[in-house]
This record gives sequence, structure tokens and C-alpha cells, in this order.
Amino acid sequence: MTEFIIKFRWVIIVVCIALAIILGSLIPTSQTDPEIRNYIPATMPSRVETDKIENEFGVQDMVMIIFTDSSILTAENLQQIKAIDRDISKLTGITSRTSPFTVRTISSSKGMMEADPLIRRIPSDEEGFTELRDEILNNQFARDIVVSSDMTSASITATINSAEPESLTIHKIDSVTYAHQGTAKVLQGGLPYIRQRLMRDVKRDAIFLVPLALIMMLAVLKFSLGEWKSVVIPFSVVVLSTAACMGLIPLLGWKLSIITLLVPIILIAVANNYGIYLVARYQELRINRPSDSVKETVKELLGSLNMPILFSGLTTIAGILGLLSHSIIPARQVGVLAATGVTIALLMSMLMIPALIYIRGNGVKKGVPAEAKTNWFDIFLSRLAGKIVKFPGRFITVFIVITLVFASGITLVRIETNQENFFPKKNAIRLASDAINTKFGGSQTISVMISGDIKDPVVMQGIDRLTGEVKKTEGVGQVFSISLAVREMSKAIFSPGEAGYDQIPDSREAIAQMFELYNMSGDPDDFSQLMNLENTKAHVLIRLSDPGNSVIRNVRAKIAEITRDIPAEITTGGYAIIMTEFASSVIKGQLSSLLIALLTVLILLSIIFRSVRGGLIGTLPLAVSIILLFGFMGFTGIALDAATALLSSIMIGVGVDFTIQYVWCFNSYIRKGLTYDESVTAAMRTIGRSIIINAFTVMAGFSVLILSGFTSIRFFGYLVIISIGACLAGALILIPAILARFKPGFASRDLKRKINYKKEKGKNENENITIGVTAAAFSGIGTAARRRADNE
Amino acid sequence: MSGTISLSITEKNGASRTRTISMTTKSFKDGLEKRVIKFLEPADVRGTSMLVVDNRDVSDEMWIYLPALKKTRRIVSSEKGKSFMSSEFSNADMSSPTLSDFMNGHLPNSGSDNQWIIESIPVSNDKADEYGYSKKVSYINSDNYQVRKMEFYNFDGEIFKTIDIKSMHRTADGKYMVKNMVATNLLTGRKSEILFSNIQEQVKVDDTFFTVQNLER
Repeated sequence: MTEFIIKFRWVIIVVCIALAIILGSLIPTSQTDPEIRNYIPATMPSRVETDKIENEFGVQDMVMIIFTDSSILTAENLQQIKAIDRDISKLTGITSRTSPFTVRTISSSKGMMEADPLIRRIPSDEEGFTELRDEILNNQFARDIVVSSDMTSASITATINSAEPESLTIHKIDSVTYAHQGTAKVLQGGLPYIRQRLMRDVKRDAIFLVPLALIMMLAVLKFSLGEWKSVVIPFSVVVLSTAACMGLIPLLGWKLSIITLLVPIILIAVANNYGIYLVARYQELRINRPSDSVKETVKELLGSLNMPILFSGLTTIAGILGLLSHSIIPARQVGVLAATGVTIALLMSMLMIPALIYIRGNGVKKGVPAEAKTNWFDIFLSRLAGKIVKFPGRFITVFIVITLVFASGITLVRIETNQENFFPKKNAIRLASDAINTKFGGSQTISVMISGDIKDPVVMQGIDRLTGEVKKTEGVGQVFSISLAVREMSKAIFSPGEAGYDQIPDSREAIAQMFELYNMSGDPDDFSQLMNLENTKAHVLIRLSDPGNSVIRNVRAKIAEITRDIPAEITTGGYAIIMTEFASSVIKGQLSSLLIALLTVLILLSIIFRSVRGGLIGTLPLAVSIILLFGFMGFTGIALDAATALLSSIMIGVGVDFTIQYVWCFNSYIRKGLTYDESVTAAMRTIGRSIIINAFTVMAGFSVLILSGFTSIRFFGYLVIISIGACLAGALILIPAILARFKPGFASRDLKRKINYKKEKGKNENENITIGVTAAAFSGIGTAARRRADNE
Repeated sequence: MSGTISLSITEKNGASRTRTISMTTKSFKDGLEKRVIKFLEPADVRGTSMLVVDNRDVSDEMWIYLPALKKTRRIVSSEKGKSFMSSEFSNADMSSPTLSDFMNGHLPNSGSDNQWIIESIPVSNDKADEYGYSKKVSYINSDNYQVRKMEFYNFDGEIFKTIDIKSMHRTADGKYMVKNMVATNLLTGRKSEILFSNIQEQVKVDDTFFTVQNLER
């Protein structure tokens, strides 16, 4: 291996750089995809059903423009709304709209039926406004739909034309509202806006967070490795592997989503680990064996670290690949991309870094022992190890108690798929969503399509029952259906108290004739969203004031219950339904990816430790961390969503390294003849520091996510810190306590037996302890501590 | 005069709906015209009938009798731009225009190619709102003064609707009436077509035929 690397060092370096440049050059062609429905497979029932409804009634995603003022019914405000409404009506990207100027009043007086616009003329005096306010309050198609009951807000709702680019339509709407600024404050919201803002913010986050993570990593590397020349080597792996991996996104025809935004951050946090170990170990070898040639040093370096690094990389890849079983498409993509990125980083670390070290030769400065500076750290670790060895049972008990306490919080974990909550509370989109949800019945919808003879009174009465019952359900803002229009018409035909008033007629002909009556005075588009031209399909549109998953589930159950008796084919879809399916996908994906990742890691650890019991013990810190993570989420109210659902797999992938490193190092001491207790202490003082710094490096990389524009990604940043912290505690407290308390046999076997077969005799004065990925890492202290351990 | 009208509305996606109605009209003094419309097809609206009083200077009046509900209702709407029976035709398209509502003038190419091109602009914003358009351009054959085509402009100055006159019927008194016309909504892609058939000019109809009471018979 060494010969190969030395012989082809330039080829290796050129290939690595070329790969990164070629793939990296594709990055600017990346596109973003904020559409949550694309997160789940096209064959999923909710998408299939929604597509059926949208084929008939168009895309139901609504743009909402909200006007607010202390009193919205003023001439200036209404002029502003009218001007914007009129300009929006001309946009080709809009298919239909509802505003105070499109809503009609169906009324009956003295035997006459009138179907005129709610506002024919903007009133000019107080009396006119009073009359208009009364009309709004009495018009169920206007009240809390186009004007809020408290008269402080008005809305224009528009459905978008999917044939036009959504971004262009949104841009035009923005231009229209900007051109007609007035006394009313204008807010824009609805799913198309949420999508466009997501797309914009994903790009902004990528541009802001990735460089920040790189700078953070550069600082951590400088702190860990000392000199810039050493920093450049692992950092180059970070940059090249991240560039290559991100280039894969457009190459594979995938798009950037809020979730794939995590890929470069994962790579920046993880990809440097192997390089750090190699460079730190190289610095260490240069100190301890200054007479060795560069070639000999590189050979020793590879002999002692290749296998542990390979194991470390493989377990990380295995953990991340657990995401492949996720049903959320971007989660699978993250699995593929992050695993590929880590593989590239692993290969670059194992091939390119030794090649670079060989080329640079003595250019890499020798490490400087930092014993004096970090003495307090040694003292802390020694004391911790002493306590663990003395009271292992107590530590285990404390872990069990903490785990049980947090386990009780798991039941409180909630699922969140509402994209509105991706934005912080004071974000303009969130403010608009809040206004829409509280004053206008919500912008997120469930659609029910009834296919059959809509004029059949049994069907129409079923639609009417569905409309009424669903409206009463908690979290439902507004329900629109053709039966409401029929009831309104009945009010115009019959007098109050007369049979038939505010009722669905009981004959097909009566319903058909009512529609004809309306056709005489209404507009052909008035009902186009509620019933098709042939009267064979009706559409019940349910707007949700609380688009939470439990509300959606309840509404869906109610729809299923009520429509059972309707003699027609029922199709239930809509964005909100897609979201509930997305939520259940999140849970299923979370469970499956978690189990697969845990199982894979268990198998790998069993192989590495040559013992199933060893594998089980090695998996314990991860299991505990998972429980702590979910318990923490339950207690703090942080929801499981598209982003946070990826956490456990990533945590398993990253966190398992700590246990491998600790057990490997512990094993080295045992093999050297130390007792279990002595080995626990020695390993703590040597590898413990490396593990802690390694963990903090990963945390530092992920910590930039706290600055994301998305609440969900921010939470991901906090949670990853907590979960890596839990893995760290598991590896450095729980595992040593178990080893000290139970003294399992696997830990004393010769784990290096087949691994160091190439190690040359006579040059292994440090190998007994270094093995692990160890030691390595942060040379100074490692060396000093190891020396002390050897002396002991 | 009486006749049968077939009104078909075709959506952009090809879905269509056809109404067949019979219509009897009679002209009265002072430009007053009354129409009785009876629905023939589809079956579930058969028997539904309407009385339309087309006033010259004030809003039209309409009564509709719904046999299944045994109710007659008067429909009031002052919007001439409102859809005629849910089609792309407006109520204004179905009757003769009121000349005083528009400023009419020739467009530059008017007079060439055997056609007059007349631009009609509503006299006020209120009239424009009432008719639902900002401008109408009519292409009139200069040989026989028959309108061939009309283009309707929205308030942005863009064409949003066209009406093509496919054929005309010459009445016994030498006047012309449209027999077949197609309205196309350029924004929605929806088309509506009206086809008159069985036109009978010399039908003697009593004035009492054009009453609300007659609708309910």
C-alpha cells in the first residue's frame, strides 16, 4: 500500500483534485426544490389522489395577500385593495381569485333574486361603510374569507397556474403590491410564498453556512494541529470531498432541498477526522522517531492507522446509509450523498494524505508537546477515570436512571411537517401565515373530490353533511362546497320559514334548475372550483386554521366516516393530506433507518471486537444517546420533522467512532498487561482527550447550523450537539464503567491480531496504545499521556 | 320571431356542455323587446322558462320559472358585462348595443380591405365597469355592414375575448340577425357557441305570451 501510494503519489493527488474540480464545477447548476410533495414518492397514495383532484380542479395552493389596518373599511384601503386585485387578475400565473371585489351577494327580496358584487362602488360616506360592514357580516362567502369579522383585515386569495413558473408569478405579485402601497399594511403568504421563500433561504443558508462551517473547521484544525502546513492537509480533504459530493447533486439530477442543505455541513464536520488522525500521528512519529526516513514514517503511519480509520469510516458510512430505508426522498438522497462524501473523504484520507505527507516530507512541522498547557485536562480525565473505576456501579446506575427519565419523554415527541414552522416566529412569512390562520381560515387545504351524479340529491345532501360536519371539527377554518351555494340559492328562492329555505332540494331536477337559475345571473367561474362543467365531479375545499398533524388526521377520519354513505367515488387529497403522509413517512423512516443503522453498527462492532457481546456493549452508548435525544425532544417540544428525522442516523454514524476508539485503546493496554481498572484509566488519559477534541470538532462543524434561517435546521444544530455530547458521555463514562464493572472478555482479546500484520517489528514502541484511531489525533497531549501510561 | 338555440360551452380541456332552448321574441313600442326562453335540453332542466324584458335605457329584467320548485324568481342585475347563461357571451352581447354608452370612431386602417374597423370606448369608467371591458373593436364588412368579428380589451389594454360571427340570417324586413357565433375567452381558453335554427319570422304571438303568468303554465 505504501509503495503504491509513493509510486503513484502525483497520480493520486491529481485524480483527487480533478475529481473535485470536475464534480465541483457542476455545483453552480444546482437547483433547489422547496416542494414538500416531491419529498415523498409519486406513487404514495396522497400524491396520487391529490394529482387526480388537481387534474380536475387545478392546483389548490393559494397565494394570500393580507391587508391590515385598524379599520380596513376605509376608502383609501379599499382603493388599494381594488387596485392590487385588478392588477393581479391580469396575471397569467393566476387561475382564479377571491377578493372583496369578486365575492357576490346572492340575495332575495320582494320575489327578486340578486347576485351582485359585494362592493359595486366604494362607499363615500359613513352610512355606506356601515351598510357594507353589515353586508359583509351577513355574507358567508365574504365574512372571514375576504374581510375579517373584526374589520381589521381583508384578503385576496388567488390560486396559481401551474403552467407558469411559480417564482415569476410570485415576483409579479410582489411588484403589483409594491406598486400600490397605501395605508394598509400588506403581508403575502400561502404555500407558493412559503415555497419561494424556502428556496431563497436554502440558497442563502448554503452561501452563508458552508463558508462559515469551513472557517470554523479551519480554526479548529489550527487549534488542534498547530501549524498551517499541517492544517492544509486535512482541510484539503474537507474541501475536495465536499465539492465532489455537492457536485453529485446536479449530476444525479437531484435538487437541493432544505434537507440536502445538511450534506455539506455533515461532510465539513466529519471529513476531516481521518486526516486529523493521520497528520497528528505523523507529527507524533516525527517527534518519537526523528531518524526515520519520510518513506518509513509514511509506512508506519499507514500500518498503524489504516485499519482503525477504515473501521471508523465504515461504521460512519453504515450509520448514514441507514437513511436509505427512509421513505422521504431527500433523506435517502442525504444518505447516498453523505455516505458517498464520507467514502470519498475516507479514500482521500487513506491515499491522498499519505501522498501529500510524502511529497511535503519534512515540511510538516513536528508537533510540540502541550503537556504544560493542558495539564488540567489530564487531571480532569484522571480524576474521572479514578471515580469510574472506584464506583462503576454508581455510574451505570446514574446512566440507567437518566436514560429512564428521558425515555419517559419519548412519548411526548411530536411530528411536525407544517412548513410554516420552518420559519422563525417574526419572519414575514410566519406573520402572514399566522394572520391567515387566525383571521381567514388558513391557507393550507384538504380537498375532497366527489365523483358521481352531483345533481343527485342524495349525493348533494352527502356533500352538505360533509361540509357541515367538517366545519365543526377543531382546527378547521373554512369549508367551501357546492352545497353551500345551493343552500344560498334556496334562500333566494324560498322565504324564511318556507319549506325548502336553506335546504338541499330533494329532486335532481330541482337542483339542476337551481344551477340554471344561478347561471342566469352568476359568472361561469363562480363555481369552477367547486363543481366541473358536466356536474359529474364536486370539490369540497377545507381550509385549516391549524394545519397540525393531529387536526389533519381527525379531519381525514371524519371525511372517511361521513363519505361512506355517499353513493359516489371519493378522493381525498390536498397539501395537508400529503403532509400527514409525510409525517407518517417521517416516523416510519425514522424507525427503519434507526434500526438498520443500529443493526449494521452492531454487526460491524461485533466483527471489530470479535464478539457479539462486545458489539452489544459498543452499541449501548448509541442506544442511550438515542433515548436521551428523543427524550430531550419530547421534553423541550422540539418536533421530529424532515430535518431532525435525520439526526439519529447521522448521530449513530458519527458517535460510534468514540466507542471504537476507546475500546481499541483500552484493548491495547490490556494486551500490554495492565489490569481492567488500569486500562480504563490509561485509555481515558490518552484516547479520552482525542475523543473529546474529536467530538468538539464535529460539534463545532455542526454548530453553524444554529445560525440557519430555518427553525428546523437550527434545532438540528442544537440537537446534534446534544446527541454527540451524549455519545461522548456514553463512550467515556458508560463504556469505561461497564468495562470496569463487568470486565467483559472481548475487551482483552487481541483485536489487532490481523490488523497490524504488516507492522514491522522493532518499530512499534508506541503501537500498543496508538492503535486506535486514536491517539493520535491531537498529538501533543496524546504523546505525553501515553508516555505516562507506558511508565505506569 | 321564434327559433331554437343551441348553446354549447367547451372548456379548454375539451369538456363541454350543451343547452338547447327555444326562444320567442317580440318587439314592442319604444324599442322594447321581450323574449321567452324555454329549456328543451338537458332533460333535468326541461320546462324551465325565462321571460326577458330588454329595456332600451334601463336595466334588463328577467324572470325565471323553475318547474321542479314551482317557483318564479326575478333576477336583477345591472351588469351588462355579466355572463349570459354561464357562457362566454355577456348579456350585452345578446342585445343591440346602446350607442350613447360608447364613443365610437374609426381606427387607422378602417375603410381599406372592404372593412370598417370601429373602436368603441365606454363613455365613462362606470360604463366600462358595467360592460366589463375598456374597449371593443368591431370589424364590419363595408359591403353589407355586417359585423364579422369583435375584439374585447381588458383594462390593461389587452384582448381578452373575441366573438366571431360565423353566419347571419336575413330577415324578411331586410335586417340581419346573427345565426351562428363563437365567443372565445383568450384567458381561460373556454369557447361558447350559439347556433340559431328553425328560425320562424312570421309567428303570431299574443302579448300575453310574454308575461310571468304564462311562464308558469
